[in-house]
Amino acid sequence: MSAISPRRLKPRFDVNGWLFVGPALALIATFMVFPILHSFWMSFQTGLGVRLSFAGLKNTYRLFNDPLFFTALTNTFIFFLVQVPIMLTLALVTASLLNNPDLKFRGVLRTAIFLPCVTSLVAYSVLFKSMFVANGLINTTLIGLGIVDVGIPWMTDPFWCRTMIIIAITWRWTGYNMIFYLAAMQNIDRSVYEAARIDGVPTWARFLHLTVPMLKPVILFTTVTSTIGTLQLFDEVATITGGGSASGAAGPGNSALTLSLYIYNLTFKFAPNYGYAATVSYVIVFLVAVLSFLQFYAARERKA
Amino acid sequence: MTSYGLKQRLSSVAVYIFLGVMAFLSIFPFLWMIIGATNTTSDIIKGKMSFGEALVVNATTFFTQVDAPLIFWNSAKITIIATVLTLLISSLAGYGFEIFASRFREKLYTLMLLTLMIPFAALMIPLFMLMKQFGLINTHLAVVLPTVASAFIIFYFRQSTKAFPHELRDAARVDGLKEWQIFFLIYMPVMRSTYAAAFIIVFMTAWNSYLWPLIVLQSNDMKTITLVISSLGSAYYPDYGAVMIGTVLATIPTLFVFFAMQRQFVEGMLGSVK
Amino acid sequence: MNRKTVALAFAGASLIAITAAQAAEVTVWCWDPNFNVAIMKEAGEVYAKTHPDFKLNVVDFAKADIERKLQTGLASGVADGMPDIVLIEDYGAQKFLQSFPDSFAPLSDKVDYSGFAPYKVALATLDDKVYSMPFDSGVTGFYYRKDLLSQAGFQPADLQDLTWDKYIEIAKVVEEKTGKKMLAYDPNDAGLTRIIMQSAGGWYFDKDGNLSIEGNVALKAALEVIQKIQTANIFRPAAGWADWVGAFTGGEVASVTTGVWITGTVKSQPEQSGNWGIAPIPKLTIEGATHYSNLGGSSWYVLAGSAAKDEAIDFLNEVYAKDVNFYQKILVDRGAVGSLLAARDGEAYKSTDPFFSNEPIWQTFSDWLSKVPSVNYGTFTNEVDSVVAAHQPELAKGGSVDDVLKAIDEQAQTLVQ
Repeated sequence: MSAISPRRLKPRFDVNGWLFVGPALALIATFMVFPILHSFWMSFQTGLGVRLSFAGLKNTYRLFNDPLFFTALTNTFIFFLVQVPIMLTLALVTASLLNNPDLKFRGVLRTAIFLPCVTSLVAYSVLFKSMFVANGLINTTLIGLGIVDVGIPWMTDPFWCRTMIIIAITWRWTGYNMIFYLAAMQNIDRSVYEAARIDGVPTWARFLHLTVPMLKPVILFTTVTSTIGTLQLFDEVATITGGGSASGAAGPGNSALTLSLYIYNLTFKFAPNYGYAATVSYVIVFLVAVLSFLQFYAARERKA
Repeated sequence: MTSYGLKQRLSSVAVYIFLGVMAFLSIFPFLWMIIGATNTTSDIIKGKMSFGEALVVNATTFFTQVDAPLIFWNSAKITIIATVLTLLISSLAGYGFEIFASRFREKLYTLMLLTLMIPFAALMIPLFMLMKQFGLINTHLAVVLPTVASAFIIFYFRQSTKAFPHELRDAARVDGLKEWQIFFLIYMPVMRSTYAAAFIIVFMTAWNSYLWPLIVLQSNDMKTITLVISSLGSAYYPDYGAVMIGTVLATIPTLFVFFAMQRQFVEGMLGSVK
Repeated sequence: MNRKTVALAFAGASLIAITAAQAAEVTVWCWDPNFNVAIMKEAGEVYAKTHPDFKLNVVDFAKADIERKLQTGLASGVADGMPDIVLIEDYGAQKFLQSFPDSFAPLSDKVDYSGFAPYKVALATLDDKVYSMPFDSGVTGFYYRKDLLSQAGFQPADLQDLTWDKYIEIAKVVEEKTGKKMLAYDPNDAGLTRIIMQSAGGWYFDKDGNLSIEGNVALKAALEVIQKIQTANIFRPAAGWADWVGAFTGGEVASVTTGVWITGTVKSQPEQSGNWGIAPIPKLTIEGATHYSNLGGSSWYVLAGSAAKDEAIDFLNEVYAKDVNFYQKILVDRGAVGSLLAARDGEAYKSTDPFFSNEPIWQTFSDWLSKVPSVNYGTFTNEVDSVVAAHQPELAKGGSVDDVLKAIDEQAQTLVQ
């Protein structure tokens, strides 16, 4: 690790550097930064549709007095704190098991586990709804196995509704994150493992002390992107609960209302208030920025 | 020795059970989709889990309502262009940020990562106005352009480049290779597994992308398969049989790409250099 | 530039010239390929018979997709890239009209609205101008399984003048005798609440569009019914649209109370033919209560920036406001009940349906249509609706309706601005 990690920062002008990053930066400036600045400007305006007027910090004031915003914020954090660790651990464990060259049916297993994130959202939502309805497959199975006596109220109880959403996201994105780990594992020198194995280091210790440290850059990558993904969680809550439809709540008591769904509603479902929606968006930006900084910081510290 | 072997075997049984359960849970919805394609809408809603006889009817409905060749061509065109350009431009940048780090570029990099964090819903209206000014509304170019420089993929390449052996680059420099030669002749082949993973991810994202194509594409003949499935599924009494046909067909290309690319995960990076 | 490209460019230019000389094409956005899209294409063919130059281009998107596209386009303030005619669900009418002033063309100078169901006209009126061509109606009915109800001892005559309390009693008997629940109900959807509320002339807003939650008699009565339905446990829980539809098409429940547009779905099960009947929906026992209400329904709007505006308006006016035969055709082919009251004098409306034991159901529905109470859907129906839907599961736990109303009021206040 130490041979490759320290990067010399070069203060001098380096034409090569600019040539490599130039095209990407130009495109990002045009198609991301410019619209972002535009939406930042919009966050200081208020009104319905095109009847916008300058509002200064009125939107921020509204934000702090908006109970739905706080519901969305709380839900988003619950999803983030519970779901991201479960999913990434599962993905990492699965990837390292699949990386064993002696394992049979590797290709089939890999493909199977990757499948969920390919499945179209429409089929996915129809399926999950039908599995989790009161007398659906999940409850029938649980009752049949004697795990529960009465069906679990997935759609009518806030706790179970959130659990269902967490199951759904984990199901869909574990295989996706696994891909990044698998790819990174190919860059690890196999002989190190062999040496450790011959020295009698147990499997779990090899996993914790060899695999995990070597994958650190990619683990950081998946942590940051999963954080972003969860804080922007939209698809699952919009399609599995009624949150995306014209009439319908995002789960009982809005228990599955996320910040992104709220922004979406403010922009498209409700009488459109683009200014306020933009203000809520910047809350996400702020949160992700802080969390990512913490994650980078944590990853950096352990290097020493 | 025997007890060691037994323990070994037990733990490998546990591994197979664990992976088997994971694989089953993952594959189940996909199977259900294929089964759904052979059932009538009311059977699909009831959650029927056995093959039915409606495959031909469903396929007929789908192919009469949808100009499938055109729609799949649109999706393929957008996806292939987006994938090739994204991999090229974003890997160049990821490599550039890691190898030619400078204080100023480091700041730009942080700024770029920030762009990942803003929800897309907040950008749609400004982006639409921009496309309007470029005269690109209802073109496939408008779908592709904003995705090509992906901060996400740049981030991924930069993180992966940290594992790129320094000695290789130094050796190439000693041999007198130019920076672009090092990138195309050394870096790209060595980082095959990274490219393969990125290829799968970018392909999948482009193929399934929904919100932005929906906003910029206006006419029937420009639509992608995802948009078509969405409008099929939104009827008062949706024909889920036809939707399932469309969904299964729409899943095949990504699966194919995955099959084709996964070889790259098996072969280690070091093997390819020798 | 070589010769070939020059020739191509020239050909392109002359092509544009030809198109300009011809009548402009009218583009329509709407959802549901088997319903709105097919009906609009039919309308285009009808109009083309007298206007041979007329070209109609119907593009189908999902309903939510159309709203997104429309809002993005209108917010960007650009007319091109937008359709000439768009279908908008009635609940969203005022939201669009008020959020995007001058984006839609008023039609009241061209169209005679006296022939339409009054509530459909009222909902698209802003500052004394009407902006819509009223289209399909969501007049509600109580669809019930004759076989199951008669097994429980109830004949069609017993079901004509129900109150909601009586309905719940019947439901209990039905479950006892047949083992089936009376209805499928999604606690996270406020559709039934809206049906009951509007049947007594109430809505989330008063006549002037101001939020009216606490002290809203109709809403309170509706929520009380919703609470009784949940605590009496007479419903089969449904999660989302498909599951809800599956419950009655699959024969799991004895009835469904919803808009007339469901008829085609009910009839999608040929083996249930002869087993279904319709009755007016149960009524509340408060002042102003009726047996008539509405759920959903949508109308056509012409964009003010459209290049083919006059043509689009004339097209809508000639077909949708005048052609009684057209309404017969879409009723027979698609089961669409329009809002033009004169249509009920046509042949198709008088026909009987063997699926409903040869009852003249269309005639019945169009009678009810003319009696639906007018309410002001206001600008913020979706906002309040999402809050109400979120609070409905609380009612199941037996909490006080007044407390729930208070909570709804608090949350709705911040959204309605």
